[in-house]
Amino acid sequence: MTWYSGEGFSRLTGAVGDAVRDVRQVRRGWHWDSPRPRTWPEQGSVVPARASDLSWARQEPVRTIRFLIQRGLLLPFTEAMAHPKVEGREWVRDLERPVIFAANHSSHADTSLILHALGDRARDRTVVAAAADYWFKRPLLGNIVSLFLNTFPFSRTGGAQAQLHSSSQLLKSGWNLVLFPEGSRSPDGRIHEFKAGVGHLANETGTPVVPLHIRGAYQIMPKGQSLPLPGPVRVRIGKPMSPQPDEGSRQFTARVEKAVRALALEPAQPDIQGSWIERWRLMKPRELPYEESTEPVQAVETTTPPVKAGRKERPLSTARALPAPPEKPDGRARSAAAPPRASRPKHP
Amino acid sequence: MARPGAVIEVDRNTPPVLFHFGEGVRLEKLPLGARIVYPPDPLDPIAHPERAIKRALAKPLDDDPLKSLLRRGMKLTIAFDDLSLPLPPMAAPDVRQLVMEEVIDMAAEAGVEDIHLIAALGLHRRMTADEIRHIVGDRIFSTFWPDRLYQHDGEDPEANVYIGKTSAGEDVTLHRRAAESDLVIYVNLTLVPMDGGHKSMATGLATYRGIREHHNVKTLMSSLSYMNPPDSALHHSCIRQGQLIEDTVRVFHIETTVNNRAFPSIANFMQKRETDWTAQDQAMFLGMKQFTDIAPPAFKRSVFHAMRAPYGLTGVHAGQVDAVHEKTLEAVRNQISVRVEGQTDIVTIGVPYLGPYNVNAPMNPVLVVCMGLGYLFNFYKNKPVLRKGGVAILTHPCRYEFDAVQHPSYIDFYDEVLADTTDPQEIETKYELRFAEDPWFRQLYRKSHAYHGAHPFYAWYWAAHAMDHAGDIIIVGGDRDVVHRLGFKCATTLEDAFEMAEQTVGRYPSVTHLRMPPILLADVE
Repeated sequence: MTWYSGEGFSRLTGAVGDAVRDVRQVRRGWHWDSPRPRTWPEQGSVVPARASDLSWARQEPVRTIRFLIQRGLLLPFTEAMAHPKVEGREWVRDLERPVIFAANHSSHADTSLILHALGDRARDRTVVAAAADYWFKRPLLGNIVSLFLNTFPFSRTGGAQAQLHSSSQLLKSGWNLVLFPEGSRSPDGRIHEFKAGVGHLANETGTPVVPLHIRGAYQIMPKGQSLPLPGPVRVRIGKPMSPQPDEGSRQFTARVEKAVRALALEPAQPDIQGSWIERWRLMKPRELPYEESTEPVQAVETTTPPVKAGRKERPLSTARALPAPPEKPDGRARSAAAPPRASRPKHP
Repeated sequence: MARPGAVIEVDRNTPPVLFHFGEGVRLEKLPLGARIVYPPDPLDPIAHPERAIKRALAKPLDDDPLKSLLRRGMKLTIAFDDLSLPLPPMAAPDVRQLVMEEVIDMAAEAGVEDIHLIAALGLHRRMTADEIRHIVGDRIFSTFWPDRLYQHDGEDPEANVYIGKTSAGEDVTLHRRAAESDLVIYVNLTLVPMDGGHKSMATGLATYRGIREHHNVKTLMSSLSYMNPPDSALHHSCIRQGQLIEDTVRVFHIETTVNNRAFPSIANFMQKRETDWTAQDQAMFLGMKQFTDIAPPAFKRSVFHAMRAPYGLTGVHAGQVDAVHEKTLEAVRNQISVRVEGQTDIVTIGVPYLGPYNVNAPMNPVLVVCMGLGYLFNFYKNKPVLRKGGVAILTHPCRYEFDAVQHPSYIDFYDEVLADTTDPQEIETKYELRFAEDPWFRQLYRKSHAYHGAHPFYAWYWAAHAMDHAGDIIIVGGDRDVVHRLGFKCATTLEDAFEMAEQTVGRYPSVTHLRMPPILLADVE
């Protein structure tokens, strides 16, 4: 029997015919090719849809699609354009709890450079705060950017409490947050004053802040330029900082700003980047649990997983403890907070 | 159990023998009665390198355990050999990385804050960041590069200090950081007997002023050979300099040795004796031969230079330099020594694509001479395999091909100096200082990835002994103009070369082929 004969083929042609018929019916009914009939009543005022927090972008299968897009497209492009030199990656290699990445901002290239610098494990758990009044003015653009970069709308113009709430929810759900505390791209490439939001958020949620400095992004794509030009970039990642118990938001923000400015200096700043001994210990390779194991595989499966070696020194262990994650009322929220899947590479 | 090296006499059933031919290979039929000298098979590597390293550091030779030498607040410098060793570059992890990771772990445990790592280049080119990363590994590179892990600059007046004169009047200089350190740990990889010992510090962290004391024609002509340190004036000079350095700064030496598994499995036929070739080896040879015959040189080069050798660690010793080096030399000789009876009228050598000074670059004609007549010819103990006045036959395409980034001074050396004379003594007197002090070459050495202005001279002096010893030198398959510029004769085929050699050594000469690499040290009785 040939593929085009029999019941299956008839059903397929029938379905296509139905679809065509439906489209034709709607086109005629709503006068796609002619003006709106005068006899129709006037249009009422449009009720705006509730602002989306783009949670779909943090769920499967979008995360897998984004992983593929980033590995196949975004990161190779970033590597080719900027060949970024990353210093201090060890500080974000084994993050055990969410952090806020606070970076200087001089270019649209900053986000992809930060994601490039983070490595697979941290990148998979990172959302980027994108200016709501810029990126989400046009919903299609906002959604595409979210698909690529896992952004969420961050209001620069008000609603501080609501903003704080949505950001802290993300942090509590296990997501790292990329913030540009200057609020906007620097018009001249220099670091401008940080807004207090980052300190406020860190203080409210007890989340450590990782200072980052990006050098060279302004040359790649400064404000007002629509196409990137190739150029060398250095991304320097500092030691995570936690707010002190008696430290106000503004003081903490000032300290973060000072750290980012210090990272810009040459040579390396041990106070901000950590001493070599701290960094050396952080980079100790994890011992594989099955190494030199004499037990059969079956026995390993039934026992508790062995504790990973080399975890004595954790950069975030001294930071203030986070409150326990809230109970997820529904399955949707739970999936948004899902930890990285085991199939994802864990070693950047 | 690894087979020792062997000397095979060619008979009717002997298969053709492999000759390296730059970025290519050839099979050649040697005359009946000729000898082929094969290196020993690779020794079994140490099963647990990390444990062996820990043991060596805990129980050093004639020195205190390393742990007891490290203390909080001290100034520690770790120096290590550059990419000129081993050849081909070692498949990761490099043994230097394994050693340095252990040392740095100990330093971290002791709370040593002030630690620097210096690539001991001497007058070699600066390595690229990726090349350094390959040697030291990701962990060390990410922690220390670039402010605490950097490369020696022999032309930086601020970064080097003059230490004094040896008993023989030789100037000694040293990298300032090393000279001012409380402890210098030198991490070495010894592939051939020439490497390691006092030479590591005296050359690797010195300036032109210190190095020229032993890298000169007179010293090298008295080094018979420099692959056997007891008979080498070069090493005697380095020992005098090294002793003065040790009087100035506390040095802890760590030396490692590897076996001679120089080729990855894809090129296993190069590792094996021809009589051991399986059908797969023959197929691999045919495939590589066809590929190298038709591929453009640049493409072939990129393929060959991407090869990483699966060397295995055969020894690691730490402690006082003389005690350590003695053990190291013993381990190296175990791996590469071959007993050879008597000298020969003609020696044949296939010059491979790679020498110490052309990693990731073409082997230019001056380096062909350095490799063939400098290194490979000098792999002997007691006396050369070639009799005085005999004929050395090398195979190499010997093209006019230079890497402008790595070898700018070599280009001028070839075009200007060799056009005038090929006599090492005359070259040294007339030209060396001018090249060494040339501001442009100095700038390229310091800021780019170029060898020092004096380096082509040293490459040429390296071959001075062979040029003096041999009655004639013939290069098979070389570019005629280039070979004539080098002062040698050119032959199209090996048979032609034998015919030409008969004019020097007479009819029915004895022939010996040194089947290198993998390297061997001919212990000539």
